[in-house]
Amino acid sequence: MIVCVAVVGHQNNPLYIQSFTEADDALKLHHIVHCSLDVVDERVNNPKKSGPMLNETFLGLLYPIENYKVYGYLTNTKVKFILVTTDIDVKDADVRNFFRRFHAAYVDAVSNPFHVPGKKITSRTFAERVSTIVKSFGFSSAA
Amino acid sequence: MDPARTPLGQMLLEEITPVVMVLSTPSVEEACLKNGFSFLQMLTPFCSFNNIDVPVRTASDQPYRIHKFKLRLFYGSHVKKPDLKVAKEQLNQVITDSGEKVFSELCLDASEIDHETACSEDRDTPSWFQFFNKELVRMASFSDHEAFDHPVACLLAVSSKDEHPMSRFVDLFNTNKLPSLLKDGAMDPKILKHYLLVNDNQDGAADRASKILTEMRSTFGASDCSLLSINSSLDAPIKHQDNPWASQACDASPNQDLGCFLNIDDIDEIKDIMQNLSSKHIIPNMEQKIRVLNQQVSATRKGFKNQIKNLWWRKGKEDVVDSLNGPTYNFNSIESQIRVLGDYAFMLRDYELALSNYRLISTDYKIDKAWKRYAGVQEMMGLTYFMLDQSRKEAEYCMENAFNTYLKLGLLGQQNATRCGLWWIEMLKARELYKEAATVYFRICGEDILHSAVMLEQASYCYLLSKPSMSRKYGFHLVLSGEQYKKCDQIKHAIRTYRSALFVFKGTTWSYINDHVHFHIGQWYASLGMYHVAVKHMTEILACSHQSKTTQELFLGDFLQVVEKTGRTFEVTKLQLPVINISSLKVIFEDHRTFGSPSAVNTKENLWHSLEEDMIPSFTAAKSNWLELQSKLILKKHTQSNVCVTGEAVKVNIEFINPLQITIPVSGVTLICKHSTSTDELTSDEKESSVTTDNEVDHFRDMSSYNSSFLVSEVDFSLRGGETTTVQLSVTPKEVGTLEILGVRWKLSGTIAGFHNFELNHPKKSIVKGRRKAKQSPNEKFKFMVIKSIPKLQGSVHSLPGKAYAGDLRQLMLDLRNPSEFPVKNLKMKISHPRFLIIGNQENVKLEFPACLTKKIDSVQSDAHASPNVMSETVFSFPVDTSIQGETPLLWPLWFRAAVPGDISLYISIYYEIEDISSVIRYRTLRLHYNVQVLPSLDVSFQISPSRLRIQDFLVRLDVVNKTSSESFQVYQLSSIGHHWEISLLQPPDTIFPSQTLMAGQAISCFFTLKNSRRSSTSEYNMSTIPVGSDVLLVPQCSQDLVYNMNNVPLVNFHYYERLQQKVSHEDLGDLNTVDFVLISRPLNSSINPGLSDPPHVMSHHTCHLSTASTGPISWLVDGPQTLHHDFSASFCEINLKMHLYNSSDATAFVCIDTIDFDGSGGHMNSANTVQSATPDNQAGWHDVTPATELKVTPNAPETQPGKALSLDSVSPYIWSGSSSTNINLESMSSAEVPLQICVFSPGTYDLSNYVLNWKLPSQGLGASDETRQHSGKCQGYKYHLTVLQST
Repeated sequence: MIVCVAVVGHQNNPLYIQSFTEADDALKLHHIVHCSLDVVDERVNNPKKSGPMLNETFLGLLYPIENYKVYGYLTNTKVKFILVTTDIDVKDADVRNFFRRFHAAYVDAVSNPFHVPGKKITSRTFAERVSTIVKSFGFSSAA
Repeated sequence: MDPARTPLGQMLLEEITPVVMVLSTPSVEEACLKNGFSFLQMLTPFCSFNNIDVPVRTASDQPYRIHKFKLRLFYGSHVKKPDLKVAKEQLNQVITDSGEKVFSELCLDASEIDHETACSEDRDTPSWFQFFNKELVRMASFSDHEAFDHPVACLLAVSSKDEHPMSRFVDLFNTNKLPSLLKDGAMDPKILKHYLLVNDNQDGAADRASKILTEMRSTFGASDCSLLSINSSLDAPIKHQDNPWASQACDASPNQDLGCFLNIDDIDEIKDIMQNLSSKHIIPNMEQKIRVLNQQVSATRKGFKNQIKNLWWRKGKEDVVDSLNGPTYNFNSIESQIRVLGDYAFMLRDYELALSNYRLISTDYKIDKAWKRYAGVQEMMGLTYFMLDQSRKEAEYCMENAFNTYLKLGLLGQQNATRCGLWWIEMLKARELYKEAATVYFRICGEDILHSAVMLEQASYCYLLSKPSMSRKYGFHLVLSGEQYKKCDQIKHAIRTYRSALFVFKGTTWSYINDHVHFHIGQWYASLGMYHVAVKHMTEILACSHQSKTTQELFLGDFLQVVEKTGRTFEVTKLQLPVINISSLKVIFEDHRTFGSPSAVNTKENLWHSLEEDMIPSFTAAKSNWLELQSKLILKKHTQSNVCVTGEAVKVNIEFINPLQITIPVSGVTLICKHSTSTDELTSDEKESSVTTDNEVDHFRDMSSYNSSFLVSEVDFSLRGGETTTVQLSVTPKEVGTLEILGVRWKLSGTIAGFHNFELNHPKKSIVKGRRKAKQSPNEKFKFMVIKSIPKLQGSVHSLPGKAYAGDLRQLMLDLRNPSEFPVKNLKMKISHPRFLIIGNQENVKLEFPACLTKKIDSVQSDAHASPNVMSETVFSFPVDTSIQGETPLLWPLWFRAAVPGDISLYISIYYEIEDISSVIRYRTLRLHYNVQVLPSLDVSFQISPSRLRIQDFLVRLDVVNKTSSESFQVYQLSSIGHHWEISLLQPPDTIFPSQTLMAGQAISCFFTLKNSRRSSTSEYNMSTIPVGSDVLLVPQCSQDLVYNMNNVPLVNFHYYERLQQKVSHEDLGDLNTVDFVLISRPLNSSINPGLSDPPHVMSHHTCHLSTASTGPISWLVDGPQTLHHDFSASFCEINLKMHLYNSSDATAFVCIDTIDFDGSGGHMNSANTVQSATPDNQAGWHDVTPATELKVTPNAPETQPGKALSLDSVSPYIWSGSSSTNINLESMSSAEVPLQICVFSPGTYDLSNYVLNWKLPSQGLGASDETRQHSGKCQGYKYHLTVLQST
């Protein structure tokens, strides 16, 4: 199950962060997402690891923490997408697929002329679309 | 890198060293206590040897040298595993103490929270961690599974005072008193012993000591005994320059000088003895033991045979022992011996030997499942690898293996696991693998919350040190550790960690985390009673609009609680609640510009400028050219800052926004001002009521006290969730000087005073009234020169309606008052919309409205003459003798007419001069602004067509539509104004208005004839410019004297402006032939809309520049019979017609009349020129009069289409029988007659429009204004139906 998805701007400012749990753990998830930025930075700035996949947007598993797994995705405009999940075995293809759709949704949201770049995404349509994507996570490749 | 120089290496060289067990008699201790320490303490400083040179030869033949060496001294009673509970308490104490210490340091600079410095300090790992870690390692000491803590030697000390010293020596090493390690066989009790006789020189008896010594030597052997004389300094206590015991000072009482009775000789003696002990006894002893053990080990374990044997033997043992600790090994067992061999070798720094032995024993333990021992050996292997600086991977693998094995043991291995972890971490740190070290720290965190807190904190520092530094993880782990500290009530540590974490989150937009951190720091500070700091942190989180409502309530509630606890109102700079919208800030002040209403203030300055341009002399001069303008501005910058007048309020509009979802009460909103009596800014004798530095809270408190030099207003309000309020604050200076507005202060919930400095770096600040100087420093805008009181006019317009129907005509009264005793003079006034508002005369005050409009007072004809002249001036000057002073107001009439529907802003500017010449301000203007909403009322339109009965007569159709929704009007009077026009009704009014009212939405039409009376008096018309008109009453029963006179004052003036206005939109087709109409209507009292406060009395609707001569200057009329009887059997019929022509232009016209006979193709209708005849037949609903559609639009005129029913085909043709073309020259304003004749051959109805009229005007001699005029034209004949009947 996806616990949380987040969009983080290129200045590491949160643009959108949404948890999908009932529990009141917003703070924890904020921390997890925030910490994951360190790993993203590390991946990006470490040429050894990112050498062969220079144009790869998908960053893969960033780090496991407690019982979560954190995945990352970096767009060409240095916007980061973070996915926090509780699933034990996650297929890489699923995550890639998720990020691709998520990216598409994000692009649509920021293409809105009323969206101010660098400001939080408040679009309701975007939120709805993200929650659909989140709900369908894991089913797409199985089907 | 030399491993020995790393922190871990240093630590190992210090910690893993031979242990010497010290056993002493009480009298020895007594002697030492004189100096303030124990025997052991006395010896300790001399146990580490930094420049010795001892050759060591271990298993190999090659000797090597040791330059540094250290002994660890322990009392016999301490050689045992530390008590866990005691150790833990001790650790907790360490944490608490360091917490206090660090926190108090923190608090020193907490007074001025400077995160930057705090952070840079925290970047270095706090030193107490080292100490703490050492303590943690110590907790695992004296374990039976490792040999390096086992005493290598025993130092027995007996005082020369003791009785039977020899027996005391024996007693001391009594097995009963020995530590358990030696007793239960974990180690060899046969250890090296050294006998030391301590002689206290203060007690004398040096010869007794030497006697005992000789006795000892004979008993225990010469080399193993020595004598130590102490306390040689007999009387005077000695101050040692660099006290070797200083590092132990913490244990001793501070007032006593440590080692005060030891003189240099004593110290040297101690040194010698210890050095002797180590180099002559301990090291050789260890060497020897290593050699012995090595021989044994190689005899039993080395070689192929032994290995096989060992393997077989162990396998057989496997089934027997299966306890958790594995088998117990006593010191005789080969396993223990190998371990001892390894440890000795390690301590003597023969790492190769140590490693080989550890390797050997490691497999054995593993096979034996002696896990703890196995782990211990692995641990040592790791360290050995490290010290050898070989195979880093091996080292780490060993450490990890050991760590995991210890962890598997559970509680038993807890301390060892921690120690192993710490060593491992040190190893990783030494290799700069900080990230890995952090994860190890994370793994050390056991159940013990406090320990895990410390570990997490250390982990966080590791993240910070790692490259690239992972500051977010640093912050996260600090927060985690803070949480743990909080759980064990280590609030001070919690605060410290959170504060360090702050720097990570500071300036980021991760508001949830920020809020959490600030809130908890605030809470914790509050729990420590440090409310000031608490409040500072709490204020950071107040504007938490992103949080849920409950969180907001919690934050605000806690905040208020904390503030309450401080016990007084608390001042906070930049309190974020409510938010001040600084860009909305507006300063309103009145220098020479004064305002009658707030709306006047909001009007753009340039609008006023353009209005006042003519009145104010200096303005026009300044604008002469841009160069001059520039220089003047620069001058003004120095000489003239903003000016305000004593006693007159300077107002500031500020917008307050509540970002929260909860209601917040705000009270006592006032401005912070500074007033200095001197106008010169540089003088030092400023009398300050408050100070600019916002840190100095005290100054702001002073603000609340009464201040004599100015008055500030105070506003209270309450902001609901998300609400925005604009508040107007004012300050009224009472003394001449300089006034500066510094900021605003308010109270939140009555307890927290927030203040906001009007920062100087807001470029967007809009000072509405301030002249926009190019480079005026922003704070200039808040600085005012206060000048002495000068008169200020107050003005208002009485009874100006907010809403009016279009056409509404009213008399208003301008009321000007001057509350001061100084008179003002030279009043002028200008109004922005003279179409709506005109200035009356003083006499008008007496007039009764609307009666004054009627003809009754027509006698004041002079008014009418005078008024157009007045109108030509844009600025109205009040009579010279007008001066307003004191209580008596000046009343001046104004006329208001709602000209067109829409929202109208009326601006009135009144200029006046002050008689007091000495004042800085010579003149002032009063600006009034009113908004009037004009609703549509009657829609009036006229249609003029030439009458076919008489030339120069016109038929006028009036259409009136009531556009209101509920109002009823009485259409009262129609007046024509123009050049000698006369108007009369076609029908009696009763037939038009049976009900006399025009209901809402109703439309009527009525017809008038308009006659140009000028015809008879052509020569006179130029003599008078006075427009004379004629009036038609549309209400039957009214007497003639209630007719409104169009020449009366307001009407004629308004008409003038209407003409001006409508001229723009309409093309002037020649001034001679236009007519203006004024329709007067009255609302019916019965149905007055209650929404209008004051019902209108009279409404006038002006329609101007209606042209009568739309087709050109020539008008004509065909005159002849309409019906004719003729006997066609006799002959065809000849009919004579006459055409009357009239030239209404001011020049001679050349007219040519062409008659066109029937041509077969198109019938008798002319098809060549269809423009005129094809004019749409609009029967009703024509509202606007446009010149293009005029001539033919007379279908429902009195000549009611007689031939409509006739089929055109049936009409027989006729022929023009007169001359086919006639040319005449028509003089200006003259008429002529042209005879025409037609021949008709059969009875029928004929349309006699088959002719064309061509006219031409000379183009020379006309003014430029007539450029647009037509100079020639062609007119199609109009329909004229003639019916010819067969006579019987």
